[in-house]
Amino acid sequence: MSVKLTRRKRFAAMGLGLALLAGLLSGCAGEPDKETIRFTFSKREAIGFMTKLVAEYNASQNDTEVVLDTSGVDVVSASFVRGNPPDIALANYNMETSRFVQRGVLSDLSGTDAASRIREDLQPLMDQYGSYQDRTSALPYSVMASSVIYNKEIFAANNIKVPTTWTELIAACDQLKAAGVTPFYATWKDDWTIAQGWFDYSVGGQVDTLDFFDKLAVEGTEVGPESSVSFQKDFEQPVAKMLKLATSYVNKDAASRAYGDGNLAFSQGKAAMYLQGPWAFSEIAKTAPDLKLGTFPLPMTEDPQDLRVRVNVDLAAWIPEASKHKEAARDFLEYLYRPEVIEAYNKSQLGFTPTKDSAVVPDPRIEGMVQYYDKSQVYQGPSVLVPRTIPIMNYTQALVFGANPSSTLSTLDADWARLAFRQ
Amino acid sequence: MSIITSPTTSGQGGPKHGGPKQATRKQGRQRQGSRRRVEPIFYLFLVPSLVLFTLAITIPGIVGIFFSFTDSIGIGDWEFVGLTNYIAIFTDPAILQSYLFTFGFSIVTVIAVNVVAFLLAVGLTSRIRMKSALRTIFVIPMVVSGIIIAYVFNFLFSNSLPSLGAAAGIPWLESSLLANPDFAWVAIVLVTAWQAVPGALLIYIAGLVAVPGDVYEAAEIDGASKFQQLLKITLPLVSGYVVINIILGFKGFLNAYDIIVGLTNGGPGTSTRSIAMTVISGFNGGDYAYQMANATIFFVVAIVISLVQLSLTRGRNAL
Repeated sequence: MSVKLTRRKRFAAMGLGLALLAGLLSGCAGEPDKETIRFTFSKREAIGFMTKLVAEYNASQNDTEVVLDTSGVDVVSASFVRGNPPDIALANYNMETSRFVQRGVLSDLSGTDAASRIREDLQPLMDQYGSYQDRTSALPYSVMASSVIYNKEIFAANNIKVPTTWTELIAACDQLKAAGVTPFYATWKDDWTIAQGWFDYSVGGQVDTLDFFDKLAVEGTEVGPESSVSFQKDFEQPVAKMLKLATSYVNKDAASRAYGDGNLAFSQGKAAMYLQGPWAFSEIAKTAPDLKLGTFPLPMTEDPQDLRVRVNVDLAAWIPEASKHKEAARDFLEYLYRPEVIEAYNKSQLGFTPTKDSAVVPDPRIEGMVQYYDKSQVYQGPSVLVPRTIPIMNYTQALVFGANPSSTLSTLDADWARLAFRQ
Repeated sequence: MSIITSPTTSGQGGPKHGGPKQATRKQGRQRQGSRRRVEPIFYLFLVPSLVLFTLAITIPGIVGIFFSFTDSIGIGDWEFVGLTNYIAIFTDPAILQSYLFTFGFSIVTVIAVNVVAFLLAVGLTSRIRMKSALRTIFVIPMVVSGIIIAYVFNFLFSNSLPSLGAAAGIPWLESSLLANPDFAWVAIVLVTAWQAVPGALLIYIAGLVAVPGDVYEAAEIDGASKFQQLLKITLPLVSGYVVINIILGFKGFLNAYDIIVGLTNGGPGTSTRSIAMTVISGFNGGDYAYQMANATIFFVVAIVISLVQLSLTRGRNAL
């Protein structure tokens, strides 16, 4: 009897399971004639914006159903290994993404309308990470410019004008210090804040990183004290200037402060300047929504013509070669690049739109960088151009903590040469 | 166990029951019987773990070793590069430094953990009040995940201690221990030991409880002091447990990862990068093949250490 009962139970359970499965499947399929594409986007701050945008796109037409996938870059890398990459992605364009480009797993976008509207002077920034044959493997979508963030109220209270030369900068720092104001708020516990701000601004304000890394790549295994370019030669002066600022003009507890502490302290007016990117604005605004902030490029030379801002391609669009829905993905790509869409996105994230036809209405907080971006007086930071396998962030942290600059920079040279040897 | 011993017992008991011939026959029958008794179903029990181990450990391991001879970055095209990666590793000071750090850290931590755990265990097995409550309290760190411990201590080192130092006017306490390139490793040892002591403690308690009371009585009659008892009786009698703790601890610390990531992330500079951290950097740094070569070398090192440990422990009953 008991056997029968269990059997009956088993059948019942099986039936229930099947019913559930059927329900799930029908739920998944939705409208059967719609082509589903997976769209990877993992920039945390903008997921809300993108979710709305995708919903609007799905409602606007009947051919494609875009599914937003917010998994990060590691998951995306793994999906390439499995041969199941997303159909389209908007992702930070960096050394990690560039691997996909260099190994030719991204499809050519040169025929798209979007590609023809990209500002040509930005192409070197993309090519700097390498390319594959003649392909246009990725298109810039959002460019972030970063430079010194300054507290306009503190500057006004001390009668300080935005410095445009190194001497003016030092004078401003001395004046602030004399008035009892910490000139820079530094957060050295988080090594990326040193690499991204202190190191990149100092080097980029003085060294032509495009040219430098081109030559460095040519030197390859020969990089060292004898090569035409090297970290120990070309970066020595900028690093020395960085260390001058880092030792004389920062908060006393910089070594144990992290990025979050810095945003809070800066919003409370505990320092006049802050070397961070535009992403910090929304964090600062959480505690001080009305604080008047501005930006200016860190002057490293005596010539105001040398002023440049650091940029990075915060988002680039690409479509993997392995995608089975390339056409649908391209349609969605064109939608993303519609002037109203791309401009709305960049406005919401304080980014710059890389299309030729964009009408810029900048936020006052990033106004100070517009003229440089428009004249393409920009550079990509050296810290993002060094392959990730070289722990450059750790090295920059060691520098501000007092490591010998020339030996640290020659370690960098040696690392570069070793990497060239095995790649 | 019984399969091996039962013929011996029957062999010993043999002459009592009859001639040695009978015993031999009996032995033979029993051997055959025991062989027949191994049902095939037992082999089936092995299948799940065998399949899982093969799929999750052996195959990926072999794949990893294979790729260490290529220039793969984990995706896309790759080519064979022979021993290039291995040659590069042996001239890479960063890798060398990570080995030095990891081994130095492991040795110091093993010593610290075992000294503390042993003394605590002696205390917790002697006649004191609230013994079980104290034992529970001391074991708590073991059940908290490493990364959480690391973040909590990170906050203590970076914020609480410096502000305490500032309030009390102690200048060396004002700057974070984690920001000191020469002493950040001390913080890592402290936190790792804090988490690892309970595990060792439990094993020591088990060992100490197993020591019979009469040897102490005998020692007391002979006039041995408490300290002499500890040194001459307790320690030799739990030496097996000491070896076990040292081996388990050392193996665990060589793989140090989560606590370091949470505390210093390899910094300041590169002073606290462990081997596991450099290997993992290959995955997100596009240096897959190179770090696979590193992992292969580490694998060989681990095997050598295990063999040494095996030969050291073979003679000990406690194991």
